[in-house]
Amino acid sequence: MMILSVALLILAIFGAPLFVVIAGSAMLGYYKEGIDLMAISIEILGIANMPFLSAIPLFTFAGYLLSESNAPKRLVRLTGALLSWMPGGLALVALAACAFFTAFTGASGVTIIALGAILYPALKQDGYPDNFNLGLVTTSGSLGLLFAPSLPLILYGVIAEVSIDSLFRAGILPGLLMLLMLSGYSLWVSRGNEKPLTPFEFKELGGALRESMWELPLPIVVLGGIYSGFFAVSEAAAVTALYVLIVEVIILREISLQDLPRVMRDSMLLVGSILIILAVSLASTNYMIDAGVPQALLGFVAEHVTSQATFLVLLLLFLLALGAILDIFSAIVLIVPLILPIAAQYNVDPIHLGIVFLAAMQLGYLTPPVGLNLFIASYRFDKPIMEVYSATFPFLLMLMLSVIIITYWPSLSLWLVAD
Amino acid sequence: MSARQSGLLQRLERWGTAAENASLVVLLGAMMILAVGQIVMRIFFSTGVVWGDELLKLLVLWMAMIASIAASRSDRHLRIDIISHFVPKKYARLPRLLVDAFAASICGVLAWQSWRFIQLSIESEYTVLVGVPSWIAHSILPFAFALMCYRFFLDFVAGSVNFFKVDTQ
Repeated sequence: MMILSVALLILAIFGAPLFVVIAGSAMLGYYKEGIDLMAISIEILGIANMPFLSAIPLFTFAGYLLSESNAPKRLVRLTGALLSWMPGGLALVALAACAFFTAFTGASGVTIIALGAILYPALKQDGYPDNFNLGLVTTSGSLGLLFAPSLPLILYGVIAEVSIDSLFRAGILPGLLMLLMLSGYSLWVSRGNEKPLTPFEFKELGGALRESMWELPLPIVVLGGIYSGFFAVSEAAAVTALYVLIVEVIILREISLQDLPRVMRDSMLLVGSILIILAVSLASTNYMIDAGVPQALLGFVAEHVTSQATFLVLLLLFLLALGAILDIFSAIVLIVPLILPIAAQYNVDPIHLGIVFLAAMQLGYLTPPVGLNLFIASYRFDKPIMEVYSATFPFLLMLMLSVIIITYWPSLSLWLVAD
Repeated sequence: MSARQSGLLQRLERWGTAAENASLVVLLGAMMILAVGQIVMRIFFSTGVVWGDELLKLLVLWMAMIASIAASRSDRHLRIDIISHFVPKKYARLPRLLVDAFAASICGVLAWQSWRFIQLSIESEYTVLVGVPSWIAHSILPFAFALMCYRFFLDFVAGSVNFFKVDTQ
């Protein structure tokens, strides 16, 4: 048995699809307990009983459609019209536009590709140092993860069985904190930039607003609808997907009808890879709970850790290590069911835990060796991976500081939730 | 492999991709229309289809399975991606071969077990939605896992051909 478990681990490190590894471990467990393996397929069907899950394919599709249209350009122009009169304006534009876009595309990794290609050359032209630009664009690719309606927030809500609306509220202030700290750092770096500031122009703002008039209702309807409780998350996702489809394909015609099946397939590849892991993990999680793994873990932790503060230190270290090897979606599905009961023992609110979990896993996008953003950026901007590592490092430190603040200041997350 | 055989395989590939894409388009379209339709009925007519929510959840199940078949074909499943980034291509071939064989076998077992489950369901008389036998709604499971098994098996065969060809050079 032990040998087989080790073999599974080795296969996982060799790069076996995670859903296969999870299914394999579930089979091993069921076999050991003498449960008919057929039960695994019954557990898998459980994803047809989970609430709000349709939000995941629908938001992902809407995000991919937006990223393939000219919406990123319009978004950059609009944020530019609003912010570029400030010193360090363009860096702020990059951060704000990326955070907004990431939230709306569900943090699916398309931000660097869609927005980076516009922002990176623009920053360079404005006289920012090349290393700074590379780091900024790479970091921005996962900024906004804590803002509604990002996929990781929805997935955490589904897995932890906490209110997704509350999570959406809880993410606002910690997300803003990250944005502010990175903005502060950017302003400090660009303090020597002597390029004259562009004055604020109402005409440019008007033009930018007119150009993006079709997309403007989107955040209002979606966020307004969700925060006011008028729409459930899955409903907001359906409205968003259909609206974006009509605007980009029929009204603006930026994506041709022939191209639509390709965009749909591309977006669903991500969805399929997330949902299949969710499906098979229902079997493995159930087995682990039956076998008392969470209690055993809790017993072990309780023996060594006495205070909430120490628990949080360990949690952060664990999440940082986890984020370095596992993507955020698999991590949520696999780890959250195990640490929820432990966190409850140390009086960590499940909503606050979610925000800490996601904020820490956001660093995983940027930590060597396998941070996803690092590779996307290296590929997209044709830079050696080591250069991307070092360019991103100062931003990573800033984000790490913000994660520590978020972890030890629970009311920052919970302030907007309470009522 | 003879030219005629590989021609047939290529045609199968093309048809397979087309069928996947068509199913994804139909499922996604159905999801949007059903969900928005329910909202419209709720707001304007204060009503809704009773089985609408259940159908939406079944659509998610089918989407998950078919998108997962597509992710196997396009090699987009989530995995711990250390080897491909840090091990030279030459040495990454053997691990990849093992991984594909392992994935094919696990998917094979999943297909077989869910096929057994479907057979049991046919005998039982459980229904979903409005009197639809539940085994029809759940039949996507053995089908999808069988196709994923086939996909990983093909990758394994291609991988081993490649492995031995390079070795003998």
